[in-house]
Amino acid sequence: MREIVTIQVGNFANYIGSHFWNFQDELLGLVEEPHGDPIFKNSSLDMDVLYRAGETQQGLLTYSPRLISVGFQGSLGSLSSSGSLFDNISTYDPTDIVTWTGNVSRCAAEPHKKNLFLQSLCEEDQQKSALYANDPDKEKTSPQKQIQDKDLVECLESGVQFWTDFSKVQYHPRSLYELHGSWTDVQKLDNYGIGKDVLSEGLQIEEMNERLRFFVEECDHVQGIQFIVDDSGGFSSVAAEYLENIADEYTNTPVLLYAARDPGAYAFPVSQKESITRVLHDAVSFSRLSSFCKLMVPVGLPSLRSKLSSVLNVDDQKLFHSSAVYAASIHSISIPLRMELPGPTATSAYVSGAVDVGEIVHILAGQERQNMVTILDTAMPAPSLTDEHNQGSIHRNLHPLTPEVEEDDDDLHAVESLIIHGALHSGDHRASISQVKDAINASYLGGSQKPKLAYLSIALCPLPIPLPFPSIFGSCVGRHGELLGNQSEGAHSRGSLEIDSIPMAARLRSSKAVMPLIERRLGNLRKHGTARGAPGAELLRSWGFGKDEVEDMGEFLSRLLMSLNLQMTLEQSQSKSASEILAHLVILDSSGSEHCLQSWHSNQIYDLYCYVILINSFMVISLSFLLELGLWNHELKSIICLCTDAFKG
Amino acid sequence: MSIRVLNPNAEVLNKSAALHMNINAAKGLQDVLKTNLGPKGTIKMLVGGAGDIKLTKDGNTLLKEMQIQNPTAIMIARTAVAQDDTSGDGTTSTVLFIGELMKQSERYIDEGMHPRVLVDGFEIAKKATLEFLEKFKTPVVMGEMPDKEILKMVARTTLRTKLYEALADQLTDIVVNAVLCIRKPDEPIDLFMVEIMHMRHKFDVDTRLVEGLVLDHGSRHPDMKRRAENCYILTCNVSLEYEKSEINAGFFYSNAEQREKMIAAERRQVDERVKKIIELKNKVCTGNDNNFIVINQKGIDPPSLDLLARAGIIALRRAKRRNMERLVLACGGEAVNSVENLTEDCLGWAGLVYEHILGEEKYTFVENVKNPHSCTILIKGPNDHTIAQIKDAVRDGLRSVKNTIEDEAVMMGAGAFEVAARQHLVNNVKKTVQGRAQLGVEAFADALLVVPKTLAENSGLDTQDVIIALTGEHDRGNIVGLNHHTGEPIDPQMEGIFDNYSVKRQIINSGPVIASQLLLVDEVIRAGRNMRKPS
Ligand SMILES: Nc1ncnc2c1ncn2[C@@H]1O[C@H](COP(=O)(O)OP(=O)(O)O)[C@@H](O)[C@H]1O
Ligand SMILES: [Mg+2]
Repeated sequence: MREIVTIQVGNFANYIGSHFWNFQDELLGLVEEPHGDPIFKNSSLDMDVLYRAGETQQGLLTYSPRLISVGFQGSLGSLSSSGSLFDNISTYDPTDIVTWTGNVSRCAAEPHKKNLFLQSLCEEDQQKSALYANDPDKEKTSPQKQIQDKDLVECLESGVQFWTDFSKVQYHPRSLYELHGSWTDVQKLDNYGIGKDVLSEGLQIEEMNERLRFFVEECDHVQGIQFIVDDSGGFSSVAAEYLENIADEYTNTPVLLYAARDPGAYAFPVSQKESITRVLHDAVSFSRLSSFCKLMVPVGLPSLRSKLSSVLNVDDQKLFHSSAVYAASIHSISIPLRMELPGPTATSAYVSGAVDVGEIVHILAGQERQNMVTILDTAMPAPSLTDEHNQGSIHRNLHPLTPEVEEDDDDLHAVESLIIHGALHSGDHRASISQVKDAINASYLGGSQKPKLAYLSIALCPLPIPLPFPSIFGSCVGRHGELLGNQSEGAHSRGSLEIDSIPMAARLRSSKAVMPLIERRLGNLRKHGTARGAPGAELLRSWGFGKDEVEDMGEFLSRLLMSLNLQMTLEQSQSKSASEILAHLVILDSSGSEHCLQSWHSNQIYDLYCYVILINSFMVISLSFLLELGLWNHELKSIICLCTDAFKG
Repeated sequence: MSIRVLNPNAEVLNKSAALHMNINAAKGLQDVLKTNLGPKGTIKMLVGGAGDIKLTKDGNTLLKEMQIQNPTAIMIARTAVAQDDTSGDGTTSTVLFIGELMKQSERYIDEGMHPRVLVDGFEIAKKATLEFLEKFKTPVVMGEMPDKEILKMVARTTLRTKLYEALADQLTDIVVNAVLCIRKPDEPIDLFMVEIMHMRHKFDVDTRLVEGLVLDHGSRHPDMKRRAENCYILTCNVSLEYEKSEINAGFFYSNAEQREKMIAAERRQVDERVKKIIELKNKVCTGNDNNFIVINQKGIDPPSLDLLARAGIIALRRAKRRNMERLVLACGGEAVNSVENLTEDCLGWAGLVYEHILGEEKYTFVENVKNPHSCTILIKGPNDHTIAQIKDAVRDGLRSVKNTIEDEAVMMGAGAFEVAARQHLVNNVKKTVQGRAQLGVEAFADALLVVPKTLAENSGLDTQDVIIALTGEHDRGNIVGLNHHTGEPIDPQMEGIFDNYSVKRQIINSGPVIASQLLLVDEVIRAGRNMRKPS
């Protein structure tokens, strides 16, 4: 078992996490559902990768996310930081003070009322325990409940204040950590320096490390850490310090970092000073965060309204809305990390293309270019394979969630890892693994831009839409995420009441298209931070960065850019031996259907050959899977020779 | 958690208004904290918006929980918190002293006196008080074996201001013994070498000192013993977990066989390391019934655990970094970073190692060690807020013992120092001062009395009566503090009420600095973090 520990730092990260765990919770629930969709029962996804089994002191068994969530004090709303799971029904009255016999004064803050949704969760829990005692069959959906669900959805649409307001997950008592910043306003926690100040108070980072240690210690073999940080404000320095400790203590454990921000972070700055603070914050936090992880995925568009998808209807003002889109995509990316398969080349009827965090990092950042800043693209919902509504292929529907990237990706050295799950063939018919595979391979071959290396993972299990999911789908989206022909204009948005699940595609892409994002940060750092008489130099100093450190940061950013600019020249490749070239394998299809292979094999050797010459690169199919198919033969050898020859000139 | 939001008015005000705002803010903060002071103070239960509870009798904790927006109040709070950071105590007294300095000044300012004059007086008074402090302190000789009785008295005084008497007294010996355990002559005391561990336990409120170490995890193999006697301890930081190497992470195999080979080779490296440990175990444990424990900072995966278990070794993984140091101090041996050249000398020793399980929480006790220089204070409590409160008190107790050893002096408490210093200022110093600065000295002197006054007030006594009784008795030539039960004067020495010298010193030092800044204000500074912490 290869466990993943998830860490969320900052408010928007916790919003995303809240949706993310709702999806997992939903998946867990759907397995138990007596008459539920079999696709969820045989998902071949190993939930133990993300969850841990435990036990309360009362002997109650528990199953909870392997998670550390760090937020600012007061950001948990009506949820207690010790979670709801282990509420100890101790014989002690909590207000009974056993340490002091003198006077007591009690100061109570205005209690946060649970909203309708959370109230109904509580009731459900109570009813469930009562029902199980009597007659489990009674648990049927009554018409009365229908009305109730509608109210719940409405209550969330109109008023989510805290990320806990829509969470249906039970958290472990060590999961939720509230950062204590004496006399600091959350609103003022808006830059790198303040986060540093807050963290320096008391032994907070120590406590965060201890909690992580608790979750790692019980792992037999942790595959990596999935880290989401809200990098728009002070939390990025909190995360950076956390990451630094992690890199130190768990050196070989790869960290997959999502640096996320909500649309509100793009609000127009009120003053020149604020705008300088902000760009410097962005530069510093980007450089610090990326230096402590193995793969960095910046996400967070100024608006999710437009380009992303014609069938999504996201209200940028609501964190509840925007976070759902990011959560769904991060969920998709996590699917290959927990497929129940023996290895990267194995396949089953339900899943194909398993990898672990280390492998994903290696595929994307371990190639000759060593670029570790990747773009996240998503197609939500993914269009059907047959493209009945002329939307275009899945590939054409993938849109970046990463800001400030180039629209057209003409990078011939791009590397990508694509996951498609719950894809529909046509209408609401689900596509099989091999159908998806063929369609994708065809689009790779036929597409105008070919990545140099692509890794494909497929799962049958779609994204379940839990009740507390926002109504962000257009009226043309059907119950299984299919596109309906009859688009009734003006109808209201659809959500969890109308839609059970959707097909998803998500992709991590390592490409030159990400350069503008880095260039911008580097430029701002130079202009406002290091240039002679730069207005922000003083500011950076107050954040604790000396001149040298700022220069190092600039250095680091320009190295990131350099690695992206690096062109593998012919001369360089020539010096490589054939086996080294083979080392740069292209895995178009890790498991590969025979059909696909044959077509490659017989018809496209010449194409391949040309391709190799043309783009001054190589494209070799994963040898291990060829081997599995028993195709390690002279034909294959000839392809390889062909390639090698091409390099030798 | 909002207890009270002090006037969040951060506009720029004119000088006089600004001054009064400062005075009011200081008094406001004093009002919130004064009920905390001393053994008769009030404990505060803070209930958050989600019903979570925090319990504190400590000015420091309380301040940090408050939502303060007023910049003056923040400045005072910072000073007080810094007081605790550096000396470990005296937060409440600091806030009260600053508040009272401002309050006393207000009287004179309202009569038209210039703040500058008062500040000059403060300066003189402060210097005189610090000199007096040196004369008044009770020196303590710290030889090879420190005077345990005096250490206990200091610890008890502190603990009794945080916990009820019986509980405080139970902890007194524990904290004193803990510090003496880790103390090495002529070296600074590193309190981190006292591990503070807690257990949530339904029915128990109990704290004990474990001479040795308690770890918050256990072995991860079903066949490993849960209890062992006569144990060699190997403290190490060595990965016993198969980790894919960089190359291995990709798909860089020319064939599946090679891949298998590669994995096998890497696995073998891990196994080799495990075997080295087993070899050492066999060497030292053959022919006797000693046991062998591995405590590793890095991971140990199931195949390695299997090997170790089969060899009869108990193994713990992912130990705290700090425990590497503590283990060596407790058990001897050394913390090794590699298993090459392992010898018997690397090993520590413990008479008893056993596991304790509470729900999903596991604890490993490493006890009966020979000459420990690290130990664990184990706190049991029914819920988190009780544990947290006891933990805070234990920290205060440890600090007070450490301070005493390092100060080589203590101060008589219960207001004795403040009364004596005040009388000294009024009777001796004031008359040496020229002109109106005298009034500043007087204001300072009266402000010192805030400690005995507040102690009296919190005990439900009449402050006037108490002060008259105390100063009267003092002027008859006795050193007197307040008996908080009766209001009568007592001899703190007889009662064993002692405070830390360095704590008192710092209060006297920092209080007037802040008060002077607040008095000499031209305009009110805006709120914000850009104010540096006063050191
Ligand atoms: N038994 C006692 N009788 C009277 N005064 C005491 C006693 N114990 C402690 N004190 C006094 O209480 C004050 C410390 O109270 P405490 O609540 O710890 O506040 P602080 O945060 O300032 O340390 C000291 O002035 C000390 O002399
Ligand atoms: Mg104290």
